[in-house]
This record gives sequence, C-alpha cells and structure tokens, in this order.
Amino acid sequence: MSNNLIKGSDEAEFAKPLYVPIKRRSFFMYAGATAGATALLLSGCDDDDSGGSNSNSVSLGSGDVGVLNYAYALEQLEAAFYAQVIATPYTGITTDERTALTAISKHEAIHRDFFKAAITAAAPTQIIPGLTPDFSKINFADRTQVLTAAKTFEDLGVGAYNGAGALIQSGTYLLLAGKIVSVEARHAAYIRDLLTPGSFSGSDVVNAAGLDQALPVATVLAAAQTYIKETINGDNVGK
Amino acid sequence: MNLFNIISELEKVDPEIMDRLTHRRSALNALGDLSKKMALAAAPIAIGSAFNKAMGQQTLADPTAVLNYALLLERLEYSFYTQALAAPTLTATLTGAARTAIQTIQGHELAHVNLLTAVLGSNASPAQSPTFNFGSAFATYQSFLTFAQAFEDTGVRAYKGQAGNIPRTASATLSGTTYNLLTVALQIHSVEARHAAHVRYMRRDATAGAQTTIMPWIVNADSNGAPAAVYGAGNPAATFPAESNISQGGITSLTTMLGATYTADDVSAAFDEGLDNTTVTTIARSVVTF
Repeated sequence: MSNNLIKGSDEAEFAKPLYVPIKRRSFFMYAGATAGATALLLSGCDDDDSGGSNSNSVSLGSGDVGVLNYAYALEQLEAAFYAQVIATPYTGITTDERTALTAISKHEAIHRDFFKAAITAAAPTQIIPGLTPDFSKINFADRTQVLTAAKTFEDLGVGAYNGAGALIQSGTYLLLAGKIVSVEARHAAYIRDLLTPGSFSGSDVVNAAGLDQALPVATVLAAAQTYIKETINGDNVGK
Repeated sequence: MNLFNIISELEKVDPEIMDRLTHRRSALNALGDLSKKMALAAAPIAIGSAFNKAMGQQTLADPTAVLNYALLLERLEYSFYTQALAAPTLTATLTGAARTAIQTIQGHELAHVNLLTAVLGSNASPAQSPTFNFGSAFATYQSFLTFAQAFEDTGVRAYKGQAGNIPRTASATLSGTTYNLLTVALQIHSVEARHAAHVRYMRRDATAGAQTTIMPWIVNADSNGAPAAVYGAGNPAATFPAESNISQGGITSLTTMLGATYTADDVSAAFDEGLDNTTVTTIARSVVTF
C-alpha cells in the first residue's frame, strides 16, 4: 500500500508538477516557527551595513521544490566553504587531510551542481539563485576553526536531511535525499574524528536512543543564516 | 493513510478482497489485541500488519515488516560487537581508543534494538534474538574490522532501501513521546553511516586494517576486502544500483553533465546507494549463520 512511494517511472515522477497542498500536520509543526521566520524576512528589509553587499531575501518555496531548494541552499554553503578550505589550506594540514578534504569538497560541489540541474529540470521557474556565502567569521589558516566550522556544517546537514525526509512527497526525492545524507554523515564522522578522535558519533549529536539529530527547517536555517548574506525564508518548505 | 484507502488500494490488486475480509473479524481481533500495547498513533502499523496476516503476505510493504527487518539487522550488529568485545582472540589488539569506539558503536546498536523492540511490542518477530555465529570473523583484528565495515556499509544500504516503504505519516508513541517512523529510520540510518565512516577510518591505519588508501566513504564499488556483494547492485538494479553508480535523478552521467567535470571516484562517493531486503539478507547469510 505504501509501495507507490518508490514505484513509478523516475522520469515521470521527476517531471510531475510539484504542487503540494498544505498538510494540517506540517502546518501545526511549523505554525510556531512562522512568527520567527517572518521576523527574519522582515529583518531582510532593514538597511544593510556591509558596503556593496546585496542582502536580498530568498524564499525557498513550498512543497517538494521547497525541500530541494532547501537542500540546494545548504549544499551551496558547504561547497563554497570547502572550496575555500582547499584554496587556502590551514596551517599544518597533512597530506592525508588534504586528500580527504579535497574529496569532500568535490562531493559537496557535486551535490550542489546536482540539485541545480535537478531543480532546473523539475521546476525551472522556482529554483533559488546562487547564494553569497559569508565566511568572515572563520579564520581559514586555523585548523581548529576550520574543522569546527566543517563539523557544524556536516552535522547540520545530517540533521537537516533527517528532519526533511518526512516532508518529502516524492519517493524519488526521498531516496535521493537518503543517498546524500549518509555521505554527509560519513563526512561528519571523519571531520569529528580529526578534531577529537573517537567523537564520530558523540552524544552531542546521537542521543541515548541511538538516534542522530532530525532538525526542523527553521532551526537549520537559523544556524546557516550566519554564513549566508541573503536572508533565507523557509516558511513553506515541504508544505 | 486511512482504512478506506487501504481497502480500495487492496481492491485494485485483489478484486476479491471483500470476500477475503469476511475473515476480517480475526484481522480486527488481532488489531484489538495490538491496540492494548500500542498507542492509537501507531494504528497504521497495526492495520498494515493485521491486513498482512489476513492476506497471508510476507513482504516489506508495511512498516511492521520493515521494522522487524531493521530489528534483525540491529540484533545482528549488536551481537557482532558484543562477541568481538568478549573474543579472547581480540583482547590483545582491540584495545584503547579502538575498544572505546567499538563500545560506543555497540551501545548504539543496543539502543536501536531496544527502540525497535519497544515500537514493535508484541509484533516483534522473532520475539527473542536469534543466535548469530560469525565463524572466523574474530580470528584477527583485521578480519574483525573487515566484517565490521561490511555490516555497517550494508546497514546503511539496507535502511536507505526501505525509506520508501515507510509512510511519512506513520508514527508510534512510546512513554509519551511520539516518533515519526520514517524520521526514526533516517536517524538510525545516519548513525550507521557515522559508524561505517569510523570503522573505515580505523582500517586506514596500516597496522590495524592494512587498507592504507581506504576512505570513510565508498569510492566506486571498491570492497576493500569485504564481500563484493556489499557494494554491488541489488534487485531491481535500476532502483538499487551498485555503489559505483554515477547516474542520479534522471541525469545519466554526473561526471560530464553537471556543467563541470567530475571523476567517477568523486561522483560515486558523493552518493550512497540503497539495497533491497532480499539482497541484504543474502549478504548477511553468506557470512553469518542464524
């Protein structure tokens, strides 16, 4: 009875219009978050102090396209971060670390480019633009700072995908998210082990029931917003 | 999901469903029995299970079957690490940080077993864990880590392969906490991926795993000494391709069609692949007796 989630031609599923009515459950789930996100949106209207930067508001949209844009936004952030890590390696980086971080930077770039292509194919008018990262708070010469930021991004990515899974209508997209989230978890474990050996699944991310984080959209965006110049509005993601 | 939808769905595949459901008294009796142990929120599972019994089906098309399948894998993993930590052949080598890490992983597997057992209640099948015989897995530290990698990577693929079989609204309530079952499966799935990455990292140490080039992620379908089937295609291969897959979401080649050129190593590693339950069970039975 639930097989329809994975059945059906991938292409047909992909090309389907992605209109999704608001579900009562998700409405209640996010009703509380709306007020805060609205405030975020409004704050985007405030005058901007950083000279020359274009601090627009970007809406991720609704339904499955909203979830895809949400993932695309996070992957853009991660890809930009690791590109910087590789361009300006931290002091004392080992050959092993450089190899692994280069691979991670490729994975994130592939995720970013994949979402761009997939959303362009499925909903060309609804794809969000390229975002402007802001890594001014990270000293890329400092190993601990870089790896701590990397840990934040990876754990956040895992929590974001885990939290978004139940918002996804399409079985095709759900499986794709699953294919990516476990790679993010592998990254997270590796980065955490670099920072603190043995912390690959520490109790700060895996609870007593053995469950990883599953974060609401609003929580993830609030954390990610620090590193993105545009103001991201995810009010309707998955609705 | 509601009852009428289920019946109309069943009628599509089985026009005689209403005749069969003259036996629905027994199906609903089973349901009533279950509802004593499971909260109302878990009704979708109970209903699916009751109808499965009425239909005599043995598939993973309902959450109960998926959860029992997950329970088997978690019991296998928990038993594996428990036996490893007690194995006299590993006392000299599985020490220090390595032992601590394995204890951490073992603790998570036990937590998964306990959570799944609690969610399933009287639907847990079999009620007691089977006895697992891992053969020569614990003969050396290297062989132990090779098995651990195989189990963790297979576990990641197994959960991923079932994501579409859990309705996104299915839930269960335990001790006042309501769990969305799909979310729970995803939360376990990423923990297994963290374990897999760490075990692979342990093998990277030449003296520990003799795999100096292994990465925390899966490059192509490289098995690094584990059974090749762990990284191969499932059934159907179109849904469950090998880990070397470079085609995703209708884009036939991510190495050349994304506007930049990427290597097959990087593309294959950027996506983990799911695996069907039959292939997973076959892999498990190829190395474990239970």
